[in-house]
Formats: sequence, C-alpha cells, structure tokens
Amino acid sequence: MTNNIERCSKCIQSKNYPKIKFEENGVCNFCNKKNKSTKIEASFIDNAKIKISNLFDNRIKRGEYDAVVCYSGGKDSTYVLKLAVEKYGLNVLAFTLDNGYIAEVAWKNIRKVVDSLGVDHWVYRPSSENYKAIARASAITDVYRKNTLTRISAICNSCISMVNITALKIALEKKIPFILAGFTLGQIPINAIIYKNHYKFLADSRLESLNKLREEVGDVVDDYLCIKDELINEVKEYPHNVNILCIEDVTETEIKDAIAPLGWVSPKDVDGCSSNCMLNTFNNYVHEEVFGYNPYEMELSHLIREGLMTRSEALDKINDSSVEQIAPIMASLSIEKNDIISVKNVYDSKR
Amino acid sequence: MSSVMILEQILNFIVDTYMVEIDEIPLNESLIDEGIIDSFGLIELASFLEKAFLIQVNDDDLTRDNFSSINKMIALVDRKKSHD
Ligand SMILES: [Zn+2]
Repeated sequence: MTNNIERCSKCIQSKNYPKIKFEENGVCNFCNKKNKSTKIEASFIDNAKIKISNLFDNRIKRGEYDAVVCYSGGKDSTYVLKLAVEKYGLNVLAFTLDNGYIAEVAWKNIRKVVDSLGVDHWVYRPSSENYKAIARASAITDVYRKNTLTRISAICNSCISMVNITALKIALEKKIPFILAGFTLGQIPINAIIYKNHYKFLADSRLESLNKLREEVGDVVDDYLCIKDELINEVKEYPHNVNILCIEDVTETEIKDAIAPLGWVSPKDVDGCSSNCMLNTFNNYVHEEVFGYNPYEMELSHLIREGLMTRSEALDKINDSSVEQIAPIMASLSIEKNDIISVKNVYDSKR
Repeated sequence: MSSVMILEQILNFIVDTYMVEIDEIPLNESLIDEGIIDSFGLIELASFLEKAFLIQVNDDDLTRDNFSSINKMIALVDRKKSHD
C-alpha cells in the first residue's frame, strides 16, 4: 500500500495525485489554493443554507414522503437521517442498497437507527450475480475516465450510481420531492450541494461508462443504472438532491456523539475510512495499484484543511486497512492480480 | 458583457475546478467526451453559469446541445442575457 509515499506537509495528498505540485515547504498546490478560496466557499455555504430552508419550508406535499434518504448505515448518512427527521421535520423514507457486502455490525446499526427515529425503511438487494458482475467489470476494465476517479474508486462509483438511480426511481414513483444523502464537501463539489436531479440531462454524461458496462456485463446493467422511458416521459418535475451534511460544521466525534443515542456503534471489523462496506479495502487497494494513490486522499485532505481532522488522524485512517479482507473479496469477484495489472496498463497507455 | 469576457470566466472556472491547463480545454468539443468533466461537472457548470452571469438556467435549458461545448455554453449565456 502507499504508506511511505511522498505527501504534502499540510494535508495527505501524495505525489501521484493528478496535477499535484509541491510548492514552498512541501505544501501542495491544493492547500495553497484553499487559502485563497475560503471566503468564496463560506458565502456559497451561507447561500446553500438559505436555499435549503426555503426548499424544505415551501415543499408541496404530493405523496406520502417528503424525502428519500440514501442510508448506508455509516455515520454520515445516519447523521443525515437524524437531521432530516429531527432538525428539518421531514417525513422520510430511508433507503438502503444491500450490495451483499454490508457488514453485520452495520446492519445492526441500520435497524436500531431506523427504529429509534421511527422511519420507514426500504431495502433493495440487486441479484448477487449481477451486482458482482458490475463490480468486477468496474474494477478490471477502464469503465470510467480517470478524472472521474480522483476521489472515488471505480467500484464505489458504480455502487453509488446504483444508489442514486434507485433513489431517483423511488422518488419519481412515489412523488417524493427530495433525495438526501450523506455526502460531504470533500466528496462532492460545492456547486452540487443542491441540484435538480435532471435524469435526461445527466444521462448523457454517463453514456460512455454505461456502454462499457453493457459490453462487459450485458444489457442487464440497464435494470440497475437506467430509468425506463415510460417513467421518465411522465415526469413533470425532477426531485432535488440536497446534501444537507455539507452545510453542517461538525467533526467526526461530534457526529458520533450525536448518533450514539440512536443506538449507533462504530464498526470495528471494517477499515477506518468507510465504516460499513466490506468491499472498501479491496476497492482502495485496486485504486492504489492502478493510479498510485488512495481514493480517500482528497476527502480526508479536505477535512484537514477545514480543521475538522488532524493530519495524523487522516494518515491513520489511510494506513489502517484490513488487508486480510482483500484476498477473499478478490476470490468472491473472480478477480486475479493479473486483471488489475492489465487495467493499470490500459489507464497508463492513455496518459 | 462580451463573449470574450464570458469565455475568459468559463475557462478560469474550468482550470480552477478540473485540474486542466488552459491549452487543454477545447472550445468546440464536448468536455465530457474529452474526459474533463463527468455528470457532477455538468451540475457544477450549470450552477456556475447561473451565479457568474446572473442568469436563470431552467429545466428546459438543460439539454445535451446547450452544454455540448464551451462555445455552446457561451451562446446560452448570450441568449439568456439578451432576454433579460
Ligand atoms: Zn496539501
């Protein structure tokens, strides 16, 4: 793994990160740029706060629920679920995509939390065979452009697309005006705190990767990553995706303390970064092998720049991974070391 | 505002946001096809155009054609501005 790699002296971004430059005192260009853009970000967040309360206050009741919350059972989405119910008073439907790799301890958290908050919960489990085929293809072929993968691994990206598309389907079918998720500003761009989930407009940008997945897996990918024309053609208004965690100024400890009363406990049998999916260590491993850096570098570095995490805490998270999980996951996805080497070669040849 | 000024602001935004050099940005090609942006990039660009040029980008404006190149985006801004 990438333990001894050269990193920025302030954050943890490493020398293989795209377009990184180490400037004075070993500080990276992203940290130096951050110093200049803090003011702009603050005004963006203030605007987002106003826009979010306006959206929620003026919501029109069209169906049973106000919001579908993408709920992985991790600390961030647990906190979002709590905020949605307790801070904003929304009537929510929690939604979990069961990819077959959610740790048992995470399921316990999920059940306890939805019960304590008294919300309805909807679990969708794609067929294991199809899910694995999509995950496998994502890991060992160049499904995504490398710019898409600067802060996420390829399997996570496919899985999150599945979550997003399924949440949008639920929202459209049940006429739910908002989709909430546990994204933070290190994970999504500041312009994407609130956006209209305009399926047709965004579908174009996904076409290339979708076609690659279709080539590898077959048309069955459409069931998980597309919405049928019959449903889309009926749409009068697309729901808004609202990432309410982005406007909260909270540390990890504060989040954990806030959700502890709901019965949420920190999972111990999974690695430090993602607290619930057993694919995570493997996904990071593939990303490091292929691109030479950890996909969480950007997100954790963002937290350091915001003063929400120390550099040594972030390094601990990146280095603390359950390597013993890698081999069994590779076997379950029928992936061999050579498959990873060949996708690396494909990406390298494009540089 | 002239088209050149609009171009300059869009280019600056893309350089700052997507880790590309100015000479790598095509004016008539799709930024998606060139691998510069993904779907979040489209969301960001639409939101950037609204804020930077004080225009309202409606659902009807969110089409493949309007965002298919930087020159098309400039044309969208021009159109919106002249309707104000
Ligand atoms: Zn740095």
